[in-house]
Amino acid sequence: MIVVVGLSHKSAPVDVREKFATSADVLPQVLARLSARQELSEVMFLSTCNRVEVMACTNKNTSEAEATHAIREAIREHAGLENASELDSYVYARSGTEAVRHVFRVSASLDSMVLGEPQILGQVKDAYDAAMAAGTLKSYLGRCVHRAFTVAKRVRTETALGAGTVSISSVAVDLARQIFGDLSDHAVLLVGAGEMAEAAAKSLGKGARSIRVCNRSFDRAAALAGQFGGSAAPLESLADELTIADVVVTSTGSPTYVVTRDMVKRAMKARKGRTLFFIDIAVPRNVEPSVHEIDNVYVYNVDDLEHQVAEGLKARHAEVAGAERIVEAEVAEFEAWSRGLDVQPMVVALRAKTHAVLFAELEKTLGGRLKHLGEPDRASLRQMMESAVNKLLHAPTTRLKASASDGSAADYAEALLHLFDLPTHASLPPGVASPPKPLVDDPAAPAARSEDDDDHVRH
Amino acid sequence: MTYALATSLFYATAVAYACASVFFLVHLAGSRFGATAAKLAPRFLVVGAGLHAWHIVVASEVARVCPVEGIHFAMSVVSLLACVAYLTLRRRWRIDVVGSFVAPLALSSLLASRFVGGGELAPGPRVKGALLPLHVAVNMFGVALFSLAAGAALTYLVQEKQLKKKRLEGVFQRLPPLDQLDRVEHRLLLGSFPLLTLGIVTGTLWTKKIEIGGIFPMLHAAFGYSAWFICAAVLLLRAGAGWRGRRAAYGTIAAFGFTVMLLLVYLLAPTSDAAVAMHP
Repeated sequence: MIVVVGLSHKSAPVDVREKFATSADVLPQVLARLSARQELSEVMFLSTCNRVEVMACTNKNTSEAEATHAIREAIREHAGLENASELDSYVYARSGTEAVRHVFRVSASLDSMVLGEPQILGQVKDAYDAAMAAGTLKSYLGRCVHRAFTVAKRVRTETALGAGTVSISSVAVDLARQIFGDLSDHAVLLVGAGEMAEAAAKSLGKGARSIRVCNRSFDRAAALAGQFGGSAAPLESLADELTIADVVVTSTGSPTYVVTRDMVKRAMKARKGRTLFFIDIAVPRNVEPSVHEIDNVYVYNVDDLEHQVAEGLKARHAEVAGAERIVEAEVAEFEAWSRGLDVQPMVVALRAKTHAVLFAELEKTLGGRLKHLGEPDRASLRQMMESAVNKLLHAPTTRLKASASDGSAADYAEALLHLFDLPTHASLPPGVASPPKPLVDDPAAPAARSEDDDDHVRH
Repeated sequence: MTYALATSLFYATAVAYACASVFFLVHLAGSRFGATAAKLAPRFLVVGAGLHAWHIVVASEVARVCPVEGIHFAMSVVSLLACVAYLTLRRRWRIDVVGSFVAPLALSSLLASRFVGGGELAPGPRVKGALLPLHVAVNMFGVALFSLAAGAALTYLVQEKQLKKKRLEGVFQRLPPLDQLDRVEHRLLLGSFPLLTLGIVTGTLWTKKIEIGGIFPMLHAAFGYSAWFICAAVLLLRAGAGWRGRRAAYGTIAAFGFTVMLLLVYLLAPTSDAAVAMHP
């Protein structure tokens, strides 16, 4: 059974989450410590800035509660917490189908702080790679996580959950690209050198041809420009700077307009009409609103950008239902595959018994009445018998696996155990379907069974 | 047999252009099949252009008319050249969406060349001369590039309006960057202008050789010179006074409007008048 134990942005504040954050270099030790627990057969550890989760598969004889407790203990030790109760209010646990659904939803970014953000899939893939490298992932949890990648891909391609932009800086960069195309031929001017200017420089400065910082304090402008390989200019030269720059980000604390309509009109003449794009993230605004009316000049203020962010989020939220449907379909498919695994011992036992009985009879006959046959004929008979076993068991095997998918495996299992006198270790594990009754060894059973039971077995 | 083949090719071309137009518009409308439509549209345009070229060869043989001697054929060839120019440039200049303008234009030009006026199988020109093929040929290439410039200008205006209105969803996301459209429009205008100028010069020389009169030649002259003059003004003002973006786009579309009027007058004119080439 798969279990997930962890904490995320939904259950724990950042000061708690940061205690559990794990860097890639210590991940092998964490995985080794977790996989050493006898309750767990497979382990994966996911650590991002918004979540820390242990995804694990329990051992055959371990209950969900035991496995959850073991993981809680391990992560408490990892975070260096003395008291287990410190953890309890922040940690959640999922098991079985809920855990599979959780893994799929996390990978598809349905559980992310920013809905539909693409980074989480890469982080899950990194965690998967680390667990594979450490040898703590095997066929069951490994397949579940691998399936989660497919779910994430389907959600991304079949819905618009990842479409649109949902942060102010990305909206600003997208707008600049939608106006100018490639920014590598264009100059960026930052008016103001505060934190917001720095954030804008990080987003816009990367691909731009050049970056200039214009600020009342020249030293501060020079310091910020230095961080991004740009150059500084005094605020007095702003009018001249407007003739050179293509994207202008304003973020000064000035109570009046820093960029006026007349200033831009003059600049546009000098620019011979080249397009000029203002991103005004200051409050109060730095750019006179009527500047937007000038030909080839576009002014977007913080409200405009936030409106786009809200639109982007709204559009993503509208896609959640579709994404959840994909997740549910994939969970059902995984569960069907998982139940197919549960009937595997029954299939093996049935084949083994059939094989043993038929081949014993064959060998007896070959040693008696057919003793005169040569080796090629004996090999042909064995081949024929093998083929007959396969053909005989094909339909029951297929139907048994199909019954596992629709939840009726217990009925078939009971019938098979009874009719073929199979060993009881071949029965279905508890929790997947009801265990077969020990009809064979119970002398009172035939008498105790009703006609309904008989019908049930026959069906 | 050849006539039947020409007719079949004509309709097959029309169907391919119509499919391309529909797919371009489906992509532009942002339908859920938009991504598939965006892939299919240029493919249909390629098929359409191939069939169109074949049709022109076969139909020329049927009508015994050289494509550069008759206005109906010339109009058909213009739309083919516009498609070829678009298909050549779309990837390089990232102007896929301009296909939404080119494909319907190609379809309407193709249909007009057959169903408006005498049709492409009408008798050839009344008078012939060395200047006529040159005049028609340069104008065909010039108008083909010019129609692409008009497509880019129209797309620019749509994109610019979205930006000014701050509507950044829907069609805005599917259009190329604003500056890219402006640059493409300018380049195409620069490419078409010398050809159109040569067309004006040869047309003027041609009219001195033949006797023309009546309303249609007057209209030819008015529309032809107007289109050329606006085109020249847009280029000059862009270079001298910084006329970019919206103003340049309006100018280009206005000049293209006059060109369309000119072509319509030619198509509707009596056959004898159609002997005079595309510009006065």
